[in-house]
Amino acid sequence: MNFTFRGKRISGVLVVVPANERSFVEEMRNFNFPEGRSLKLKEVMGYDKRRIVEPGVCVSDLAVFGLQHLFAQGLLKREEIDALLLVTQTADHFMPATSSLIQGRLGLKQDMLCLDINQACAGFVIGLMQAFMLLEQESVNKVVLVNADVLSRKASPKDRNIYPMIGDGASITIVERDTADSVIQASVKMDGSRASALTIPAGGLRLPSSPETARLEDVGDNNLRAKDHVFMDGSAIFNFVQTEVPPLIENLLKRAGVSSSEVDYFLCHQPNRFMLEKLADKMKVPHARMPNNVVEHFGNSGSVTIPTVMAYNLRERLLREQLQVCLAGFGGGLAWSAMLLKVGKLAFNKIIEYK
Amino acid sequence: MDKPEFYQRLAEILDVEEVKPEAVLKDFDVWDSLAILSVLAMADAKYGVSIKAEEIRSVVSAQGLANLVEAKQK
Amino acid sequence: MKCTFKNKRISSIITVAPSQEYRFDDEYHYFKMTEAQAKRFKKMMSLDRHRIAPPEVCASDLCLFGVQRLLDAGVLKKEDIDAILFISQTPDYILPPTSNVIHGKLGLDHDVICLDINQGCAGFLAGLQQAFMLLELPAVSKVLLLTGDTGSKQMTRENRLNYPINGDAGAATVVERCSDGKTIFMDVKNDGSRYKALLIPGGGYRMPSSAETLKLREVEEGVVKCLEHIEMDGAAIFNFTMDDIPPQIEEVLAFSGDTRDSIQHFFLHQPNPFIVTQMAQKMKIPPAKVPNNVVSLYGNCSSTTIPLNVTLNAAEPLLAGTRRVCLSGFGVGLTWIAAVMDLGPLDFCKLVDYEGT
Repeated sequence: MNFTFRGKRISGVLVVVPANERSFVEEMRNFNFPEGRSLKLKEVMGYDKRRIVEPGVCVSDLAVFGLQHLFAQGLLKREEIDALLLVTQTADHFMPATSSLIQGRLGLKQDMLCLDINQACAGFVIGLMQAFMLLEQESVNKVVLVNADVLSRKASPKDRNIYPMIGDGASITIVERDTADSVIQASVKMDGSRASALTIPAGGLRLPSSPETARLEDVGDNNLRAKDHVFMDGSAIFNFVQTEVPPLIENLLKRAGVSSSEVDYFLCHQPNRFMLEKLADKMKVPHARMPNNVVEHFGNSGSVTIPTVMAYNLRERLLREQLQVCLAGFGGGLAWSAMLLKVGKLAFNKIIEYK
Repeated sequence: MDKPEFYQRLAEILDVEEVKPEAVLKDFDVWDSLAILSVLAMADAKYGVSIKAEEIRSVVSAQGLANLVEAKQK
Repeated sequence: MKCTFKNKRISSIITVAPSQEYRFDDEYHYFKMTEAQAKRFKKMMSLDRHRIAPPEVCASDLCLFGVQRLLDAGVLKKEDIDAILFISQTPDYILPPTSNVIHGKLGLDHDVICLDINQGCAGFLAGLQQAFMLLELPAVSKVLLLTGDTGSKQMTRENRLNYPINGDAGAATVVERCSDGKTIFMDVKNDGSRYKALLIPGGGYRMPSSAETLKLREVEEGVVKCLEHIEMDGAAIFNFTMDDIPPQIEEVLAFSGDTRDSIQHFFLHQPNPFIVTQMAQKMKIPPAKVPNNVVSLYGNCSSTTIPLNVTLNAAEPLLAGTRRVCLSGFGVGLTWIAAVMDLGPLDFCKLVDYEGT
């Protein structure tokens, strides 16, 4: 499904990462695999360090911290916020919506929209689309898009498929109208029939959490996982990305009349370095133009990885210049999305640590 | 505020013949969340005042309630 | 926050209630009410019966059943569905989104947007707003707005504060473009500082599920709950509905240029009949314009209350012609959203019993 937006822009990006850093080498002792094999995995996948929250830290905490930083730095005014979008899979509560909690904690005005959207790795593109749609309303001038997840808390420490790669974090992206009539092209596709490739079996109403669902089970591949834990079918996801994402991006570029070489950077969701190198190869894009190093420094924080690529790899450039970038988010749902837009100069583009 | 009328309305809510000013609300059998809701509704509909949940929880006697409503009317 | 939308309409509504009906008179012994207490409670709250889903039935099942009926009735075609919105606080899973699961069960193609939105009693309005926004995009012509909740699974039967008033239900509403040139007016307000009025403390990431959070306790006479159950401050809710909703309805009427006279139906969310009566009186709206029987017959079914209200009380006039309506959803968050729009003639408007296995 294709979309075109006009006259909207990202004006600032702030990424909040937990100060708590873990290292793959330290943690690999927990896995039921010989050390040698684990180290090989580390090299291939590009695992090294990741940031995860301390126990008890939630999405609203990261979001509030980030927004307070922006208020304190004079980069955002409370009263300017007309809409607060929160894209997360790891909400503080079943009710109320976490965006409402953030609004309450920050004392934001009543005349605003608060919206929780449950989206996984396609969530940054989907969130931007929401922001663009809201900005069509006269009363909406500034949208705060928060992407945030603390999924590490649902990863089994004995599951080598998931545990070493999950990171936690939040991003705050300010979206507003653009006086220049900039054109943004986007494409989204969804396939619920393959939803089981990335799930948390228990914890919803279909299978509520219980002592049963907390029990670690040997799932047959030498990993131990409970029904409360996140499960990923690695090879199914890999095939999915290789099959679906290149054509999505290709069609998007074709529709926009932009060639691959005219795109300054492909800012993709960061599942791991291996998948991104293979994706770049398939699309015949040099690795330098498809950054793939977020997982080795911060971990895979779901929909937060795309803004993390912006703030980590393009920190200076996006402050100084305007770049034509193609975003691509893909994963849980299954959902895959891409967006071609110009970004920069940003008012701010940085990473701060949550303690 | 017409205090006798207030106490009479309160008596209706509490399902008793009459309510004395010094009566302690918690002592009434029917002083539960339903009764509280009825009092809030009465205050709004008959006296045009909005009593907050915290306020009514801190009131002890019938007189305290009457005073609260009267104060808000000013 | 004010919004306007043009050239959008609701074309079909189906609401689905579990077939299992329970009467207050048969149940009040569960929450330790004496006959006298029960009589008083029943009278004040106008309670009679409600619908509770069996354990294996989730909100999405009720919604999907509704969608199937719309497909069977020929008022909706699978290939026309451009977006699925699932508004609920009782989703099947946290990951993947339930709207994706529904997409898979319907076997739709890939060109569909699926969104799960966490909203409670203001959810139908929030969903309408989202649908209207999506329909601004040329690629989106038809949105399937699903609201559904099985609140009964977030409380015990032995809870006199929540259980007798709760009802489970789901709804499927088709929203599409039209060319009537009419404007829809909406207002959205939020106040998260009062979130404690309606809260589930445990089960999310703030207080993850554990043996502790699942432990049932009798917190007061006739109220047995655990930390993964709904906490409701009835008095705070009352304050909210009396203080904040009437002004918003006034605001949205002024915004649309309507009056109490020009509006033919006020479809308000129904926390319970007592509150709705108070609100209508306060706003000086004739009771005939404010249907108030949803809780008595089906229970308070959160965001589905409004569509259920419509299908229960106004199916005939809405199938036959156009009515000027005011919709008002309010509750958990706290969030309150009101809209003024024309409704009807609808292609479909029905309340059915769930017949799934």
